[in-house]
This record gives sequence, structure tokens and C-alpha cells, in this order.
Amino acid sequence: MGKFFFQVTFLAMAVLVASAISMTSPSITSSWAASTIKVGVMGPTTGSWASEGQDMVKVIEILADQINAKGGLRGDKVEVVVGDDGGTPKSATLAAQRLLTLGVVAVVGTYGSSVTEATQDIYDEAGVPQIATGSTSIRLSEKGLKKFFRTCPRDDEQGRVLAGKVKELGFSRPAIVHDNTSYAKGLADEARAIFKSQGISEVYYDAINPGDRDFAVALSKIQAQNPDIIVFTGYYPEAAMILRQKREKGWNVPVIGGDATNNRTLVEIAGRAAAAGYYFVSPPSLGDMKTPEAVEFLKVYQAKHNSLPSSVWAVLAGDAFQVIAEAIGNVGADSTKIATYLHNDLKDFKGLSGSISFDEKGDRIGEVYRLYQVDEQGDFSLRE
Amino acid sequence: MAHFVEQIIFGLTVGSVYALIALGYTMVYGVMKLINFAHGELFALGAFVGYIFLVTLNWGGLLGPALAIGCVAIIVCVATALAGHALERVAYRPLRHSDRLAAVVSALGASIFLQNVIMVVWGAQYRAFNASLLPTIVWRVAGQSVPLIRVFVFLTAVVTMAGLYLFINRTRFGLAIRAAAIDQGAAKLMGVDVRKVIAVVFLIGPALGGLAGLLVGIYYGQINFNMGQMYGLKAFTAAVIGGIGNIGGAMIGGLLLGLLETLGDAYISGAWKDALAFVALILILVFRPTGILPERVAEKL
Repeated sequence: MGKFFFQVTFLAMAVLVASAISMTSPSITSSWAASTIKVGVMGPTTGSWASEGQDMVKVIEILADQINAKGGLRGDKVEVVVGDDGGTPKSATLAAQRLLTLGVVAVVGTYGSSVTEATQDIYDEAGVPQIATGSTSIRLSEKGLKKFFRTCPRDDEQGRVLAGKVKELGFSRPAIVHDNTSYAKGLADEARAIFKSQGISEVYYDAINPGDRDFAVALSKIQAQNPDIIVFTGYYPEAAMILRQKREKGWNVPVIGGDATNNRTLVEIAGRAAAAGYYFVSPPSLGDMKTPEAVEFLKVYQAKHNSLPSSVWAVLAGDAFQVIAEAIGNVGADSTKIATYLHNDLKDFKGLSGSISFDEKGDRIGEVYRLYQVDEQGDFSLRE
Repeated sequence: MAHFVEQIIFGLTVGSVYALIALGYTMVYGVMKLINFAHGELFALGAFVGYIFLVTLNWGGLLGPALAIGCVAIIVCVATALAGHALERVAYRPLRHSDRLAAVVSALGASIFLQNVIMVVWGAQYRAFNASLLPTIVWRVAGQSVPLIRVFVFLTAVVTMAGLYLFINRTRFGLAIRAAAIDQGAAKLMGVDVRKVIAVVFLIGPALGGLAGLLVGIYYGQINFNMGQMYGLKAFTAAVIGGIGNIGGAMIGGLLLGLLETLGDAYISGAWKDALAFVALILILVFRPTGILPERVAEKL
């Protein structure tokens, strides 16, 4: 009896979980009319960046629904096909192949630079345009790939703004900390080079481990070097722990970070008192997207999901989807024509995050970064 | 020198959490010769159960921090113990008489399953414990800052481990556990209910892991669904360093690993911290697979 009972409960649990997964998984969209245009979304819907990936999909689904409600593109419905890259290069290659097998004409994604890099050649060989949304690593667009684009800015741009702001704010003894990911190390090295060219030399340069929670040792080492600002180029969970443990030490040095810390969970984890005063450079936050398109969109999103996307990257994924839709609307669902259109004909497209054009490398044109500071209420306030 | 003392304090806090989790690996291995790879997920589950009561239901605000943490610690232990028990029933008991490899594969499967259950239930984003749950009190000892909460984490772990040690070495049931660890067949012939021993081991181990999860949640304030992965690996390393299957070894291994990490972080480089921990694992596996404690002790649970 006992064994049977447990087996039954186990099966019931498995069924419940499976149905919960399929309900939350947005990839299953069926019952379209005969001709649909498939657009791929490659995002980390599971894994450590799952919240980013899930928001990407939510944003794009809303945009796709809006397009379809208006009759689709050139009379055809758009179908969003989701491929889960799991936030790792290995799963990403599988996701890419799956999307290509399903016949997507263009792909939005993905978030992590190393993950995007693993799939670039796969899409390129298949001749399908790829628009990365959070991958800021420089070399992605330095390979001469004709069908690679991104709606996010590059790290050198960010490094330049980050180092510039540190100098503008009047700091001269930065301690630089990264987390050994290609994004964080790239950004740290970029900022370091720019500091050097301006005659500022850092007093500390080392890495912490991503996923780590205890930075007491690193902080006491940094404190021993007496910096006047800590430049942390990693992601928000670690940044939050650094802020929290720095406060616990009773140490009052300011901290500045990059765009991967633009996530409201940072304040929750660190606590308002510890997060107050934290600087970061980032593309504008959702609340500072004042374009009518963005305001309207966020209203719809809020109504549907009862919250805002937790970061700006999901919105940049929405922009990537919109430019693909714009291209298809103008030249049809042909991969090569879409890429040519994005390179040559798309000028100052009104996206959610501002106007969008691409240069010959596929990078987005224009100054995107802003300086933010966390205020006493824990809100991200724009500084100019 | 003062700097060194501070690192030791940090190392002991980190290490005591590893030790608590390592106990779960080591007890299960001692009795069943099975690495319970899902143990890290039970640790994460403990953190999330704590999250329900301390954050979602806000017991911290309703009952005051001390009482709330006390009650929640008990609830977390019970909940993870039950989860561990269910895990044993579903994933391990049916395989007791099959190949050991089958049980390991089942353990890995259970780990992936539990991790994804946590993700589906609580979502993929990081969850934060309220930062103001415990007051930030920092003692100044000889110019060094000693945060009270680190001492709290360390003492909780040490007291729990001391209790376990007494239970294993001073009670009749502890004797039965030790007997089952040495030789299940002989223990059965001597009238030890091995099935019950395994069931109890699968209650105690997960309860300790869950408690460690709660401590990590309260102290560091951030939890996420795959937090069990790294902590599980580190604790597994700690258990191997101490000699897997050896309870005292797991405690010592945990503390040693914590110290190794913090000292490596402080005197070599932060980037090498994880590498050092796993180099230690490799060296132990190559040169002393029974762990650093003398062989005689390592044979026993």
C-alpha cells in the first residue's frame, strides 16, 4: 500500500509540475492560419538568467499579439517561436539549430555575450539575421558577420561612459572588481585602459566569483588599499551583496557599476540603506523611457502581467523584434532582404528605447548610456 | 596579523555552513553508500521555505526576530526532513537492490527535478530576505569588525553539529546508525532495523541542509532557485576532504574548506577561490581518497 501510494503521489506531482510548466511556457502558440511568418526568440527562459529570458518572451509576445491584432505583416500572421538557451553556450547551439529547423526567418537574442557568440556562426551559415539584445561584448560585431545586429550598446561604449562618469564625479583612486565573466572582465579592462589614458591608476584590480555570496574577504582587501570608489563591473546579485556587506563593515565608500546591475532586485537584496547612493551606468530604465511608444507599451505590459519587466534588456529584445517586424513589413519575410533592409534602409526607427539605426557592423548607433543613482527610497534616479 | 584574524572569522562562518550541508552528504553516504546529489536542492528548499514564513507571511515583523527565526528554523527542519523522506521513498528506495549507478542517476534526476520545481513555484528571479530582519550589530574587537550575525551563524552551526555528534555517539539509535554504516547485513542480523535507520538518516541530513539554507538566506539575504548547486558542490568537497561517510570529518572538512577559501581569497586572489576549493578536492581524491582523518575513523560513520 505504502509504496503504491507514494508512486501515485509522485506521478500526480509530476503531472502537476508538467502542466504548470506548459502553462507558463509561452512557446506553445498554435492554431494559426495556413501561412505564418516565424520569428525566433532565443532567450534564457531557464537557468541563472531565467528571469531575463522569461521577460524577453513576455515582451515579444505582447508586441506580436499587437501586430497580429492589426492584421499581421503583409497579410500574414507572425508566430513567435521560443528557443531556450538556458544561459549557456551549449544549450544555445541546440536552441539555435532547433529554431532553424522550425524555419524562422530571423532571430531575436540573446542576453549573455558568450551565449550569443556560440550561436553566431550557426545563424550566419543558415543566412538568418540575428539581433542580440543584451550581449554587449565588443568582439561579437567585429567578426565581419553580415547578418548580426544588436539593439544593446557595446562594452567599449559602456566602459568609456563608466570611466568618464567616475572622473566627472571627481574620484581618482578607483578599485576595480570584476567577476571573470567575459562581459564583466571586458568592461573592467575597458574602463581600466581609459583610466590609464587619463592618468588615473587603479589601486586594486581583482575578480570575485559569480554566484558567490560572501565578499567579506574581498572587501577587507579592497579597504586596505583605501580607494575612493569601487568600480564593480559584474551582475546585480553580487553587486547587492557587496553593498550589503560593505555596510555591515561600516565602510562608506561609494560604488559604481555597469548596466548588469540595473535590476530592481538589487535594492531588495541589499536593503534600501545599503543600496542608497549606489551609482550605475545603463541604458535608460523603464520609468525613464518617456517616448509615447514606451509609455503605451509598459501600460499594456503592466495590465497583462501585473508587474513591469525587471530590467531594460527585455525591452531591448522587444525593439529587436519590432525592427524585424518593420523589415518584414517593408521587404517581406526573406532573411537576406531583412538583413539588407536593417543595414541600409532602417533609419531612426521609433523603438521603445528610443530611435534605432544600425551601422555597417550591425551595432546600434547613438548614445544610449545614462548615469543613475539609487536614492534614499531605493528608486533609481537619473543623474545628469 | 589583525587582518589574518579577521579572515579566520570569515572562514569559520563560511565553513560552518559548508559543514552543515556536508553532514547530509556524509550521513547518507555512510549508511547507503550513495551520494545524494539532490541534497543541494534540499538546502535551497530550506531557504525558500524560510522565505515563505519570514518574508511572504512576514513572521519577522509579527513575532519579533528572535522568536520568528526560532519558529521558522523548526518549520524549515521539519519541511526539508519530510521532503528528504519523500525523496528517499520515491527516488532511492525502489532502487535499493539495483546497481549503484542506477541510484546515482536517480539522484541526479531528483536534483534536476527539485531545482526546476523550485523555479516553477518561486520563479527564476533572485528573492530577497528583508534586510532589516536582524539588526546590523558589529562588534569591534581589537580594531577588527566582527558582525554579530556571523557569530550567530557560526554558533548555530556548531551547536547543531555538537547535538548531532552526541546523538550519534551517545544514544542507542546512534549506535544503530553506526552499526548500519559499518555493515548493513551484520547490523540486520543483530536486530537493527536498517530500513528505519535509513529513514532517519534521510530525515536528519535534509533537516540540517534545510537549516543551512535558512541561515544563508537570513545572513546573505538573497536566494535563488539554483543556489543549491554551488553550495552542494562545495559541501560535497568538504565531505570528501573530511572522508565521506565520516561525521566528524564532514564538520572538520567544512571548516577547513571555508578557511582554505577565505585565506586563498585573501592572500592569493579572489578569482582563484573556487579553483582552490576544487584543486583541494582533486588532491584529496588522488592522494587520500578516504579523507584527511586517519583511516580507522574514516571507515565508520
